[in-house]
Amino acid sequence: GLRRCLISMDIHHIEEAFQEIKKTIQAKDPFQNVTILSTSETLHRIKPLDVCCMTKNLLAFYVDKVFKDHQELNPQILRKISSIANSFLYMQKALRQCQEQRQCHCRDEATNATRIIHSNYDQLEARSAAIKSLGELDVFLAWIDRNHQGTSA
Amino acid sequence: LCISGGLPQPTNITFLSINMRNILQWSPPEGLQGAEVTYTVQYFIYGQKKWLNKSECRNINRTCCDLSLETSDYEHQYYAKVKAIWERNCSKWAETGRFYPFLETQIGPPRVALTTDEKSISIVLTAPEKWKRNPEDSSISMQQIYSNLKYNVSIYNTKSNRTWSQYVTNHTLVLSWLEPDTLYCVRVESFVPGPPRLAQPSDKQCVHTLKDQASALKVKI
Repeated sequence: GLRRCLISMDIHHIEEAFQEIKKTIQAKDPFQNVTILSTSETLHRIKPLDVCCMTKNLLAFYVDKVFKDHQELNPQILRKISSIANSFLYMQKALRQCQEQRQCHCRDEATNATRIIHSNYDQLEARSAAIKSLGELDVFLAWIDRNHQGTSA
Repeated sequence: LCISGGLPQPTNITFLSINMRNILQWSPPEGLQGAEVTYTVQYFIYGQKKWLNKSECRNINRTCCDLSLETSDYEHQYYAKVKAIWERNCSKWAETGRFYPFLETQIGPPRVALTTDEKSISIVLTAPEKWKRNPEDSSISMQQIYSNLKYNVSIYNTKSNRTWSQYVTNHTLVLSWLEPDTLYCVRVESFVPGPPRLAQPSDKQCVHTLKDQASALKVKI
């Protein structure tokens, strides 16, 4: 799993950054009956062996899709989201090294779970999907925290 | 049926959550002192389809409702809402933000057992238990849910008036090189790294280190 891959990444400063904007972001999400990460069908079924691949896929999902589709006018929120995005870029770089050492193999389980998340996203209009995904960052960060203890401070 | 919006909404609607015991609480609507207002509660599981009733919290007088059972899957996220009713009028619903028990529940203090000798105090900590519906249900330790659970132990020397604290990850701690024949008081707080949570310290517990046997012997001779 990622335990060997994620170079001592301190998730807590990302969690703190998100905590400050969480209520505002989640309040902008009008669709309570839809989730993107749909935790029980995706993240909670991921086995340790698939943690690295799933983390890589979800970081790419946020960096390449969510942060791009999200449009934000509030400078304070924009600053926090940028700091979270930069942390994700750092983690992607760390994972790339693992890939080169062939320690981030993707099996069907992780690929299917990623497909569900992208499908959930694509069923909503891009901006709504982006705001909803941002509102679920606490779920993703909690999942990273639990699956990479021992590598994060 | 009631005329919706005829009353002001309840205010300050939040979840008070300790060890996954999740109580919805709110303040009465303003300006209705003395009126016999009742309340009705509903809750919603994020990602599901509809609001659900809580039958024990329909037309109640109190301003709280225990939703521990309905929100016991701490991996899910929830909303709750409450409306005020008085005679034939009722308020619009007042709604919580998204509630995520796994990240928001307060971790209660551990059980603390102290034993002492002349110059040391041994502290044994037992993690708090997750809320359970019936006392005879099997217990789940909060340690099982949060494997990175830590403790912040504060120690106060009543003679020197000095306090110090240290973080502990395992369940036993021996404080050495203490002063004999001195009253020490201990308080412990549970702590999980991650988003900030409210914390509840344990009750203060005090213990006396024993008299120094060596000096006691000298006095005898």
